Amino acid sequence: MNATALSIENVDKFYGPVDHGVHAVKQLNMDVMKGEIIALLGSSGCGKTSTLRMIAGFEPVSRGTISVAGRQVQTLAPVRRNVAMAFEGYSLYPPLTVRENIAFALKAAKLSQNVVEEKVASIAKLLEIEDILGRYPSSISGGQQQRASLGRALIREADLHLLDEPMGQLEPQLRAVLRGRIKHYIKERGLTAILVTHDQTEANALADRIAVMEGGVLQQFDTPQMIKERPANLFTGTFVGEPPMNVFEASVSGTEGRVAFGLEDGIRLEYPAADFSHAVRDALMKRKNVVLGIRPYSVRRSADGVTGRVAVNQWLGDQTHIAADFAGGTMVLVEHDRTNLEIGQPIGIRLDPGSLHVFDSESGMAISHGEELA
Amino acid sequence: METTSPVERLLRGVALTLVVVFFMFPIVWIFLMSFQTNETILRIPPSVVFSPTLENYAALITGKLQTASGTLDIAFMRNLGNSVLLSVASVAVALLLGVPAAYAFARHKFKGSEDIAFTLLSFRFAPPLLVLLPLTQYFQWLGLSNTYFGLIWIYQLICLPLILWIVRGYFEDISADVEYAYRIAGHSWFSTFRKIALPLAGPGIAAAGLLAFIFAWNNFVFALVLASADKQPVTVGALAFVTASGIQYGQIAAAIVLSITPTLALALYAQRYLVEGLSLGAVKG
Amino acid sequence: MTTLQLKNIVKRYKSQTVLDDLSLDVAGGERLVLFGPSGSGKTVLLRLIAGVIEPDAGRVLIGGEDMTDVDAEHRGIGMAFQNFALFPHMSAFDNIASALTSRKSSKDTIAAGVHKVSKLLKIDHVLSHHPKALSNGQKQRTALARALVGSPPLLLLDDPLRNVDAKLRFEMRLELPRLLAAQGATVIYVTQDYKEAMALGDRIAVMAHGRIRQIGTPAEIYNAPADIEIARLFGDPTINLLEVVPQRGPDGAFVELSDMRLRLPGFGAEIVGKQCVLGLRPETIAFAEAASQGAIPVTVEAETPLNEKTVTLGLTARGREILVSRPAGTPGPVAGPAHIAVDGRTAFLFDKATGRRILPSELASKRNGEAA
Repeated sequence: MNATALSIENVDKFYGPVDHGVHAVKQLNMDVMKGEIIALLGSSGCGKTSTLRMIAGFEPVSRGTISVAGRQVQTLAPVRRNVAMAFEGYSLYPPLTVRENIAFALKAAKLSQNVVEEKVASIAKLLEIEDILGRYPSSISGGQQQRASLGRALIREADLHLLDEPMGQLEPQLRAVLRGRIKHYIKERGLTAILVTHDQTEANALADRIAVMEGGVLQQFDTPQMIKERPANLFTGTFVGEPPMNVFEASVSGTEGRVAFGLEDGIRLEYPAADFSHAVRDALMKRKNVVLGIRPYSVRRSADGVTGRVAVNQWLGDQTHIAADFAGGTMVLVEHDRTNLEIGQPIGIRLDPGSLHVFDSESGMAISHGEELA
Repeated sequence: METTSPVERLLRGVALTLVVVFFMFPIVWIFLMSFQTNETILRIPPSVVFSPTLENYAALITGKLQTASGTLDIAFMRNLGNSVLLSVASVAVALLLGVPAAYAFARHKFKGSEDIAFTLLSFRFAPPLLVLLPLTQYFQWLGLSNTYFGLIWIYQLICLPLILWIVRGYFEDISADVEYAYRIAGHSWFSTFRKIALPLAGPGIAAAGLLAFIFAWNNFVFALVLASADKQPVTVGALAFVTASGIQYGQIAAAIVLSITPTLALALYAQRYLVEGLSLGAVKG
Repeated sequence: MTTLQLKNIVKRYKSQTVLDDLSLDVAGGERLVLFGPSGSGKTVLLRLIAGVIEPDAGRVLIGGEDMTDVDAEHRGIGMAFQNFALFPHMSAFDNIASALTSRKSSKDTIAAGVHKVSKLLKIDHVLSHHPKALSNGQKQRTALARALVGSPPLLLLDDPLRNVDAKLRFEMRLELPRLLAAQGATVIYVTQDYKEAMALGDRIAVMAHGRIRQIGTPAEIYNAPADIEIARLFGDPTINLLEVVPQRGPDGAFVELSDMRLRLPGFGAEIVGKQCVLGLRPETIAFAEAASQGAIPVTVEAETPLNEKTVTLGLTARGREILVSRPAGTPGPVAGPAHIAVDGRTAFLFDKATGRRILPSELASKRNGEAA
């Protein structure tokens, strides 16, 4: 399991002339172990799709090397890289039925007819497309085409499975069910998968590690839990997490045994120095201005907290989103019960030091998470 | 967009040059011919070295055609004027009638609307020769033959279907929501047509108008049969260069240069506008 | 406060019936969400209220006045479109002002109105830009400003947050209620996102196949869905739906899960032996000790963290999938055998043949009594 399945080294991608064209991917370095599921996450234009297309071989690499299962592939044609890919759009062979499309991927493996049928049947069951196996691509919906394309990619044996927005066109209910099944399928077979998505729910649900990209730069490459708990910078912190992280600009001051953050509207958050490690205190004292971040589900209500006023109270069935006017901005809280708060009602807001993320106000780099240094 | 190597760029340049030379050569050759006398043109072997002369242009402008057997009167400048008048007026009438009709066909589907639109288009399919004989008869009864009015009317056979179908497509491409939004904002359908649909279809209307102008300009048969000398456009007037004492190549070349100049100028001018208009972006933007 | 009434609206396109005898009453100042999957007729209905599409039959009453034959420009409505529908050849200012220019107001009045609303929506710095130069979020706000600027008594919002990214959508979801409350308008809001529907609607009308399947407060829709389809559309992860045939037990009806009995309190003999579908919301299921009363054994297949919650996919002894969700950070099994506890009182029971929810007997008899 410890072999490297994919290794990307110092890769740059320019559209147009090298060094002068559009710099879509900047100095990308990434290692993926065999059996891992990786999500490339970012908004449109962040470089995630260019990266995937370079791995697949549909886009030439401007600089750097890409190795799949230990051999350099950046100059090889796509068919010679031994990677399977599921496309976002419509990529099925029109003259073949869905069954033939999926089975087509097994042609090279030279399996017996029975084995092929069995494999197609099982993947079709997983993706809930059994009833359309005999149909032609032109007569099925976009969501069904996408699932067929996914099936064609997953059924193959390959060093790497590339999935480009594999569930973008599916209705949300089906998407939720398929996520669990696909993860199980990939894990059971020990496949290595790279998934491109702009949907963080999907990335969180499927991936062992998430590569967050923005502006062609890899911002952070870590487990979903680490990205959530220890975001490397303000971008990752506010991009990943739903509802998004609450952020407030603050000035730092330290007195005897206290650490204080001054927010707008004269709000002061004071903590005993012992709530932070020495290193964190030192790092904080070196700066005047920082950005404080806290996840909506880490914000607590408590009578002795700082007062905010309820502006919005939205119950969503299994949770409640509360937005309160706080320190010149909005503080969002998530609670798992239905809370009946009146608009305008004052509430006490407590920010536990252990849930605070502190970022440098200039570079945006994380300084500390809770009591630990970033 | 692809990353390109110097070799690729060179090959691309060569290929482009070949294409440009292929298409531009006749025009350049005619341009050169227009500055030569018949003798230098008919030299064997032909040569690009000659002493340029303006006598072809002088002959056209003064209307005195010099042939081996003496001077002939030609009405080239009048023909040119007729061409401009007929084409401009025809396109103007066609736009005035065709654009609102195109909008109606694009936005208001009613029973038979598709059939009517298709019937109008089918006028383009019919070979002109088929309708010429009856047309000549009708025009004589109506007293329309050899009038500008009659010619402009008959030119609608060329211009109107073209404008109707091209502009209709452009109107259909405008998202209905954009027009709905303007209506809901409190504006009448007519002001929506004027303030939203017309500007957004502007590039398309310009393109259709330009195309219609070129077709009208190039028309030969209708004018040949329905107009006498003083109403004829250049396409018909050019026949005068084929004289009993030979074909005046130099003067034909000069006439061609003069007669393509207006269309060329219009195309170049409109192109700027077209590109600008089209780059306004899709409605969704 | 302007009311809206739709009476027996029918709309057909060729042979297809898009709106099928639909009636709806919206109170003045109410925020009504039209919710439904694509193709359910919501968008057509909204355009019909706006007056840009005519119904084949039925009446549209706005503020009690019959507007069915009144042109769109005279209905006094504000509307925001899903694809923004901005005028590409006009600046953001002119786009917004278009809703005022028709009223022959003075230039100063128009400018003041545009600036006020654009300040509210934080786009006052981009008013001179053409739509092409605006970001997606700014476009969306410009479209909203254009709908709001004339303070129309009736606002139609057609999935206005559909085309903006998740972060912006969340921010607007918090901002919209305040904005709309300040307007005091009656709002019809179309969306396909159940969270948006629950967050923004005073009431939600769930549409399917050109009809309103259920209308009620968010709580009524979530806690008392009328049928399987509605139960499926609300909730993330999706409600667990298991085919069951209730049996008679010593203390009322029960169903079997992993060969264990799950009691269905309140249900009587009328459901015994009937083909049913059991609906269990993932957040109502909890992991339990093996020894605890009524614990149902499952095999945990996969665990997926979803922000504030963790979702576990388990299989029953008969291989049926069950999703369980719990607040993130709380303990739970990651793989292998485990037990879950289900409270029969939170379970929904649906008739498999019709898809309609079967009410517990006492509730049903109460309803019947009311009807009588």
